[in-house]
Amino acid sequence: MDWQGQRLSEQLMQVMLLTFAVAAYLTGFMVNSFRLMMLIFAGSVVLTALISVPNWPLFDRHPLKWLEPSVAEEFSREHPQKPVSALAASGKKKSSKK
Amino acid sequence: MHSWGYRLNAVATFSLTVLGVMCGMVSFSDNFNHPTPSADVRVLNINWFQRHPDGNDEVSMTMNITANLQSLFTWNTKQVFVFLAAEYETPMNSLNQVSLWDGIIPTKEHARFWIHTANKYRFIDQGSNLRGKDFNLTLHWHVMPKTGKMFADKIVMPGYHLLEDYR
Repeated sequence: MDWQGQRLSEQLMQVMLLTFAVAAYLTGFMVNSFRLMMLIFAGSVVLTALISVPNWPLFDRHPLKWLEPSVAEEFSREHPQKPVSALAASGKKKSSKK
Repeated sequence: MHSWGYRLNAVATFSLTVLGVMCGMVSFSDNFNHPTPSADVRVLNINWFQRHPDGNDEVSMTMNITANLQSLFTWNTKQVFVFLAAEYETPMNSLNQVSLWDGIIPTKEHARFWIHTANKYRFIDQGSNLRGKDFNLTLHWHVMPKTGKMFADKIVMPGYHLLEDYR
């Protein structure tokens, strides 16, 4: 599951549960049945889990594009980064050398 | 949200939160129910009326209890507990309540009933104050909800009178 897919699945889960909760409440209220409300909501939880939990292809439509290894090496050569230890030590060591 | 375990956990916690809110709203909807229950009790006979050796009065009576509590039932009602109490005043206690009969009403269909019964629980006074006593018969009820707040109310039926003499 890619980043977009994760966001989609979470939003889908929240919207579905809230919508079904409202629907279940209204239905239960109108039919005068607490039991029906609970059954509708339980069904909606199962349905939501089936939709948002498995890694469906729908959530894999924006694959991450990694740089090719060779390109990455080139990039790091053009923009050299000092190792962290070198950065921390750089101030003191310079003065001691001179 | 990167693994199915996290997503399952998110579904479980969010759905339980929503369920909690839903149940709260169900309980809140009970406030819009304005019940109009009715009750009537007739004392058909005083079976006996005695004074115990320890000085307490006891009455046994046969009653006919008619009630319609159907309007108490909403979609959030699990059952209704009703009890009939004799209420009277004595010099020692400003309010005496003696439970004479009770019952559990499981459904709306059973909420309209009549029953012909002797008092299920003994009507004993703390002392000997019952001769010629005026008393109320009060039908109390507790509405037990499926979720949320419990409601209790009563109907007071005044104007009952006990005998002047033991028998």
